[in-house]
Amino acid sequence: MAGKRRGGGFLNIGVLVVALLAMIIVSFIGSKVGSGIVGSEPLSFLDVDAPKYHPAPGRPFHSLPITNTMITAWISTAVLFGLFFIGTRNMKLVPTGLQNFLELIVEAAANFIEDPAGEKHGRWFFPVCTTIFLFVVANAWVSLIPGFETISIHGETLLRSANTDLNIPAALAVVSFCFVEYWGFKAKGISYLKTFFHFGPLWEALKQIFTGNIKAGAGGLLNGFVAIFAGLLEILSHLIRMMSFTFRLFGNMTAGMILVMIMIFLVPWVLPTIFYGMEAFFGFVQAMIFGGLTLGFACAAVMEEE
Amino acid sequence: METWTVVAKLIGAGLAIGLGAIGPGVGIGILGMGAMNALGRNPEARGPIMTNMILGIAFAEAVAIYALVIAILLIFVA
Repeated sequence: MAGKRRGGGFLNIGVLVVALLAMIIVSFIGSKVGSGIVGSEPLSFLDVDAPKYHPAPGRPFHSLPITNTMITAWISTAVLFGLFFIGTRNMKLVPTGLQNFLELIVEAAANFIEDPAGEKHGRWFFPVCTTIFLFVVANAWVSLIPGFETISIHGETLLRSANTDLNIPAALAVVSFCFVEYWGFKAKGISYLKTFFHFGPLWEALKQIFTGNIKAGAGGLLNGFVAIFAGLLEILSHLIRMMSFTFRLFGNMTAGMILVMIMIFLVPWVLPTIFYGMEAFFGFVQAMIFGGLTLGFACAAVMEEE
Repeated sequence: METWTVVAKLIGAGLAIGLGAIGPGVGIGILGMGAMNALGRNPEARGPIMTNMILGIAFAEAVAIYALVIAILLIFVA
């Protein structure tokens, strides 16, 4: 009896898999590329336009300087704001429903941050890192809603994923950079500048030379120059960090968008769903990396030197 | 002249992403190997190994993404 039922289950799954594969193959043959290979006319309902990518965000309202990515950023901000407003309106000691979910997020983020940063610094970093994470993940997931990029006004899409506009990752990167430097100064005071302009060892070596200890001083001289050079490299790395932040997020999200568009063009049915799921996952991972790297650099900036 | 510019652009874009994907590919392979080794030694630590592996993969992948950005810029902007 049980074996029979199991057999039936296998049969159902088999039918499902075969049906999905058939849909993939049919939609591939019916689409523009596939029908070109087979040598037939593309089916009208599978004839998707070839993907077009415009690097610059479009302006749906011609006279207003509002880009479509900006509107998406506002929407994701509104979604986050609304979610947290509704969830925390009448808070209970024993959370239920939405409040429970929000507490789960906040608690996970707090644990993630306090683990490397410690209690005191973790409280500084928590608001910024968590906000960056939530904003990026909301941008990524809002743009995965079906039909998101299909609305168009005046021949321009009304909505487009905010992370695919270079300006928004760049703005986040600048925010992250400024906060890291601010925390550095807050933790170490003016001596934080020693990270960048490290003249101490050279000074020490010169002092030794002038007080007659030439042999130790000459060795120290090299160390002094190396320390200065390392400081300059540190400045450079802090600046390059911003660029790598920007391009990491922008590139990942743009690549995902183009990948989904190309998959819809090639195989209109079933297969793009897999890439949709992958995009949802990568949006989360990239958001975690943006927040986590800000956290990591902040930890490096406030760390006491031995 | 115009044709040669287009040809150069396309070849450049292909080379950019093709060569740029070699390093990250090797890196992701090494990361996966390390994670499998760790998993074999210590199967209980599946969760943390998985998380850290995915983080590492995302970092390695970022390098390929830079190359991809260059390729996209070459094709669509330049």
